[in-house]
Amino acid sequence: MRTAGRPAPRGPEDDDAMTRSNGFSFIAPLLVLMVVAFNAPIVYMLGLAFWEKGRGFTLEHYEGLAETPVYLRVLGNTMRIALIATIANVVIGYPLAHWMRSLGSRARMFAIALVVLPFWVSILVRTYAWIVVLGNGGLVNRFLQWSGLTDEPVSFLYNELGVTIGMANVLLPFLVLPLFAAMVRIDDRLLQAAASLGAPPRTIFWKVYFPLTLPALAAGALLVFILCLGFYVTPAVLGGGRVPMISNLLDTLINQIPRWEQASAISTILLIVTLLIFAAYRRLDRKASA
Amino acid sequence: MSDIRLEGVTKRYGTFAAADSVDLSVTQGEFVTILGPSGSGKTTLLSLISGLNRPTAGRIFIGGRDVTNATAQERNIGLVFQSYALFPHMTVLENVLFPLGVRKIGGAEANRLARDALKLVRLDGLEERRPSQLSGGQQQRVALARAIVFKPDILLLDEPLGALDRKLREELQVELKQLQRTLGVTTLLVTHDQEEALSLSDRIMVLDKGRTQQVAAPTEAYLRPANRFVAEFLGIANFVGLPDGGQGLVRPERVRLSANGAANGSGKPAKVVEAIYLGQMVRYHLALEGAQSIVAAVPFLGTAHAPGEQVMVSWDSADIWPVT
Amino acid sequence: MKRRSFVAAAAALPAVSILSGTARAQSKEIRMIESGGASGDSIQKGYIDPLFKKTGIKVVRESPSSLGKLRALVESGQTSTTLFELGSGIVLQAKKLGLIEKVDWAAVNPAAMFPEAKNEYGFGYQYFSTIMAWRKGVKEPQNFTEFFDSKAFPGKRCLPDYPHYCLPFALQATGVPIDKLFPLDVDTAFKKLNEVKKDVAVWWKAGAQPPQLMKDNEVQYSICWSGRVVGDPAFGVNFAGGKSDLSFIAVVKGSKPEDKAAAWKLFYEMSLAENQAKAAEVISYTGPSPELDALLPKDKLWQFPTSKQNKAVQYFENAEWWAENGEAVNKKWEAFKLSL
Ligand SMILES: Nc1ncnc2c1ncn2[C@@H]1O[C@H](COP(=O)(O)OP(=O)(O)O)[C@@H](O)[C@H]1O
Ligand SMILES: [Mg+2]
Repeated sequence: MRTAGRPAPRGPEDDDAMTRSNGFSFIAPLLVLMVVAFNAPIVYMLGLAFWEKGRGFTLEHYEGLAETPVYLRVLGNTMRIALIATIANVVIGYPLAHWMRSLGSRARMFAIALVVLPFWVSILVRTYAWIVVLGNGGLVNRFLQWSGLTDEPVSFLYNELGVTIGMANVLLPFLVLPLFAAMVRIDDRLLQAAASLGAPPRTIFWKVYFPLTLPALAAGALLVFILCLGFYVTPAVLGGGRVPMISNLLDTLINQIPRWEQASAISTILLIVTLLIFAAYRRLDRKASA
Repeated sequence: MSDIRLEGVTKRYGTFAAADSVDLSVTQGEFVTILGPSGSGKTTLLSLISGLNRPTAGRIFIGGRDVTNATAQERNIGLVFQSYALFPHMTVLENVLFPLGVRKIGGAEANRLARDALKLVRLDGLEERRPSQLSGGQQQRVALARAIVFKPDILLLDEPLGALDRKLREELQVELKQLQRTLGVTTLLVTHDQEEALSLSDRIMVLDKGRTQQVAAPTEAYLRPANRFVAEFLGIANFVGLPDGGQGLVRPERVRLSANGAANGSGKPAKVVEAIYLGQMVRYHLALEGAQSIVAAVPFLGTAHAPGEQVMVSWDSADIWPVT
Repeated sequence: MKRRSFVAAAAALPAVSILSGTARAQSKEIRMIESGGASGDSIQKGYIDPLFKKTGIKVVRESPSSLGKLRALVESGQTSTTLFELGSGIVLQAKKLGLIEKVDWAAVNPAAMFPEAKNEYGFGYQYFSTIMAWRKGVKEPQNFTEFFDSKAFPGKRCLPDYPHYCLPFALQATGVPIDKLFPLDVDTAFKKLNEVKKDVAVWWKAGAQPPQLMKDNEVQYSICWSGRVVGDPAFGVNFAGGKSDLSFIAVVKGSKPEDKAAAWKLFYEMSLAENQAKAAEVISYTGPSPELDALLPKDKLWQFPTSKQNKAVQYFENAEWWAENGEAVNKKWEAFKLSL
């Protein structure tokens, strides 16, 4: 803040302008690379649905989508599965992160390593590992049948349950790590303050602890949800192909049939939905921190 | 409003005793300061009294009731943390409303109480701010308002002014004292600043390494410290030899100075090493014969002795307090 | 890899300017994008190695191949990749989109080939079959009517998650003979699939899935690629009613003449029965030479898509029909999948 009437010293201002322009010239090449490498192909892809060689602008691919809504239903199904997987992730991830916070520093490192471990395992290997564990002849079913809890093997796989389990496993680190970081940042004294002011543990959790973790939880859940939308291998393998997802459909439209224009139209809708969700999140976030 | 009684309260972390057999009795409406160096166990003691922590041994009574094993929730104590511990996701008003909500006080009633408390700490108008948008002094007042809004039986303040600059601290000391008097709430304040302790409280408790050194009125502790640690911790201490071979404390204000060879020139000759002007007072660092040094604080009356000058120092034997 | 091809291209440049006009000029190294795995290895052993021995021309392989990749290659205007592996249906699509060049069959001058392999736009280099298979020990179906009859042949099924694989087999189960499959009666086929879908545990996307699932006893019957199951004692197979299809190698649009000249040399090697026999040692898929049977081990003839006894009982993929109707069928397929 500058006080009125007092002339501002010139030096620092010039300095400021200089570092700013220098800073920009430093990142400009990177920016250009980003635009060329990432943004340009997206724009091209989006444009495919509107522009056809020799025919110019057209909306027919979107009309086609509206007329035969089966592709939109696949999109809806994808959203539903993504939502379920996200909820499963939150239900598992939140207590997990909370538990990790209570550990000593050594045990914490170990727990983090365990959570991050799936990152280092190829997605295919991990997905097949689930078959070994959850398949009809898998460890869990063998145990259930051996212990007499069930006679018939329980179908964990080749259905939505399998997809949800697989996705939750793959994406758990995306939720747990930011959440854990946020939880560790919470000063114990805030919780003690709440206790000293007479709050019972439940109130401390819901009125102090949870709200402070909410931004990280929302960000993590959003990330997981968006990643779920693009899942390919897990639904194909653990879902036994019975859980139609938009990425599989796009693969068919791009590499099999091929109808790139149609794929582009679907991708555009997917992108818009994702951006809308993101915008809603930003709005909430800004409101919360205003 | 209530009185506090600690009986042999001990808190051990492993073999280390953060609080060691502490006894203390605070009467209703009294303002007691716990004074001790950093790490002496002051915060530990407050956490035990507030119920955030359980003692390893000993008993705690509040209002005659044994609360040793009661939760914080069951104690109705207002606690202001060293770091304020304001809820960052709540506005100032929401912070102050929090303890009311916990007590099922809501609506207009809660709003009135909260606004009254904020007015009391002179924060009216900042209700909708977030803690991060406040200065240190303002945050401190929010913490105070939050701790008093629910009319606690006891107010515990953990170095409430420690993080503030000197001028603000002195201002708030006065406010705090007035507030305590207005509310008449039994108050325990923790500080490592002896001036603060001396100026604020009815009584002080000096703590070192988890052990009580002395509990007394401020002047009593200042002039008649229970031991050398208290003597040295509460201001500047001159130690002089006693005829019986022991040591005695003479505070700087009790040391008299006269020009060398003056008519009533009794006492011992000394050389001025340093003269420090403190406004109304001058503090002299003097060297006696035999390399003993002494500090004297003398009212400033327009002229002062310069370093290097020879003077005579003396004190009344009645001003000597034997210490062990 | 990239740098080497750049060096090769740079080295080829002066040669072009000197020899321009003489179509004889020919690169010493070209690049191919193929589908990978054992199939890629068979190309290496069967065709690339002999070509190098004879002519010194190197072919650098890369995988996997997809139509999307090809389109991106051509539309970005690059010319470093000359050869591209495509399925029979995709050849038609790529031709329609102008992504591939005509084959100069005169320049190739191939040995005798099955006619469907000698496509105007590609070299049909590898026959592969899609057939019924089962885990040893279950009742063995003789045809697709039996295969889809889960009462008489109890067990879980694993079917391809692709309409152009599933529908003709389902239609056979309704009694349609293999020479009357096309034009495909899509609705009848779907009706059959709807009847049997409860018995299908997994719809596979990757060819590795069905043999693994049968080994793990997750499913007992599957429709899968012959190369993945024949010769494995854990499985029984039957080529009856199976689908015979061809993989093609095509030339990327805009390839340089000297690269194409090298490509024709490779195509010639690919037409030779003795090279195809070498390739068949790596993978149980076969080349397009009618004389190949004689060079293959007698006891293994039953494993190969083109051996006389197998070629006769299968139908050949009708790529034209799928090119025409693929998208409409796919919509129904997605709707069917949503009903699972
Ligand atoms: N949870 C704890 N575990 C182990 N030692 C502790 C714990 N809390 C405090 N201490 C130790 O107890 C002593 C007193 O701490 P504290 O009461 O915070 O001191 P003060 O508030 O007087 O500075 C310190 O030496 C501190 O390290
Ligand atoms: Mg402390």
